[in-house]
Amino acid sequence: MTQQELYAEVSPIATQILQIPQFESSVNMSSTPEWDSLNHVQLLSAIEKKFGIEISPDEAFKLTSADRLVQYLHGILKGKQ
Amino acid sequence: MNVAKLPLLPHQKSNSQVDLPYANFHELLKAKTGEAPSREFLIFPETDRRYTYQQFYEISLGASEWLASHVKDFGTICIIFRNTPEFLAVYFGAVARGIIVVPINTELAPAEMRFIIENSDCAAVFYDPELERKIAPLKGEMTIPFHPFADVANLPPVDAKNAEANLPKVEPTAPVVIIYTSGTTGNPKGVVLTHMNFIVDGIAIVNWFQLTPETRSICVLPLFHNNGIVISTTTTLCAGGSIIFVDPKASLRSFWALVDRYGATFTSVMPSILAALLSLPFEGKRGYLKGIICGGQLLPLSLMQNFEARFGVPIFEGFGSTEASSYSSFNRFPAEKRKIGTVGVVLPICDMKVVDDNDNEVPDGTEGELCIRGPNCAIGYHKLPELNAQKFRNRWYHSGDYGLRDKEGNYYFRSRKDDLIIKGGEKIYPAEIENVLSKHTNVTESAVIGVDDPILGHEICAFVNLKDPDANTESELIKYCAQSLARFKQPKQIVIINRLGDMPELPKGPTKKILHRRLRDYYESRLANPQGQEKPKWVRSSTSG
Repeated sequence: MTQQELYAEVSPIATQILQIPQFESSVNMSSTPEWDSLNHVQLLSAIEKKFGIEISPDEAFKLTSADRLVQYLHGILKGKQ
Repeated sequence: MNVAKLPLLPHQKSNSQVDLPYANFHELLKAKTGEAPSREFLIFPETDRRYTYQQFYEISLGASEWLASHVKDFGTICIIFRNTPEFLAVYFGAVARGIIVVPINTELAPAEMRFIIENSDCAAVFYDPELERKIAPLKGEMTIPFHPFADVANLPPVDAKNAEANLPKVEPTAPVVIIYTSGTTGNPKGVVLTHMNFIVDGIAIVNWFQLTPETRSICVLPLFHNNGIVISTTTTLCAGGSIIFVDPKASLRSFWALVDRYGATFTSVMPSILAALLSLPFEGKRGYLKGIICGGQLLPLSLMQNFEARFGVPIFEGFGSTEASSYSSFNRFPAEKRKIGTVGVVLPICDMKVVDDNDNEVPDGTEGELCIRGPNCAIGYHKLPELNAQKFRNRWYHSGDYGLRDKEGNYYFRSRKDDLIIKGGEKIYPAEIENVLSKHTNVTESAVIGVDDPILGHEICAFVNLKDPDANTESELIKYCAQSLARFKQPKQIVIINRLGDMPELPKGPTKKILHRRLRDYYESRLANPQGQEKPKWVRSSTSG
């Protein structure tokens, strides 16, 4: 799956949980008030369920932007193939 | 030096002999660097950056020289950063020159930031470029200079000896920060704290918990609040230890993994964080964490007991406020000496007492207002002489918190004297939200209360009376608030009272003042759902990690 395809898969989940209009590469935790600590936990849980993966707690705190999250997913899913 | 020899304000004098080994923050950092230059001081796991004491000391001098080209010594600056090395570089660089730092909550709405920037009379704003989208409207509206600061690695190299020689003399009683907290009238108020305030409090906490250079603190609270800068940063620096900084918004799920990976021994949190950690399926595996400081809002006994039973880490509850630097009392250390359910005994640097409405001290066991005095107490509020005269009257800081003391000297926190809402540790006065709602063309009057929330302690509920009850929905009014208020201040629930059958108008007293307590009673009896409090939807039932 390409990063663009991953964005297409992740965006509906993220926009629903974070209640934001778009989940694009410029979105980050710092400038998105809706992306708070509880929503971060919920977002990662929903992504785990969607892709059948487990996001390591050692990495979860680094996934603070749309880009970082999609890049991380790209790496994980590539490793699974 | 003996604190008593300094020019203290009446409410900064306590009955204790307090020693101040460092005149200011820079002297403290320099002394600790001299003791162990190669010891690890700061760790930022998100960006894999780590600094020894010597490295950070040089960074702070570089930042200080860079700041000198933008701001006069002893001026004031606002800073808007997350928990990054850049926050600490600007902070330590500024205070070394006597520059007063005003840390701004990154979650505030632009209009709220603007108020603080203007009210603080700052000379410039330094900010994290990641926040550009939020800062951009302010830059367009304000004439004050805004300086992005992206990376400490971009600071020019500095000759430490020359840089030291160029630093001005900074007195212990000079202000170090102005921290803005919610105000009863609707605008936040700036609490002016000094180098002495933070250092005496930091040393007192080091001594209380027997912290050492082996201490490794994990900071999961934002540095723009005094808990992050005093407990995690100043206290650990006073101990000569190491600090792991994590973005508070990203830390919950990774908390125990970070404790294990970095060997964190100590942390400071709000009860809401304990509640959230308890709801998650993650555990610490290595038993590094030896104690957790907790305060800022009421800690339910069941939460404390369940947390300790599951994770095996003792919680030390304390009492404090921004106006007294951080904590003024703590439960005794080690854990077996605690008196559970109390906020402990007064720290040896300050005095506490309980008074009645006429400022007379009440006997042990009698409830009243908790008051503090000592060298940890702030100068006062920035440009608010009337409030200073009221809150720092008769040589004591009057906290507005109600409680009592038992015969053994343990203090109990009971309630607030006013209608303050504490949501996840953030303090919010109803007036901040009521002022915004009152500007809506269809709102004739409003009243905001805090209602119980199982994780955050409080959630926000606004009661509004509308001119035309059918012209606006609840969600439209919430969106209206979002234009002017930080997300954490936005009401979760709006109740349109015209649509209630049993409360035609807001309850008022004889002077027509709205009775918030009556509204809370109404909410409890008619609108709350105490039996059906659902678990937050993000909680997973499986256990892993």
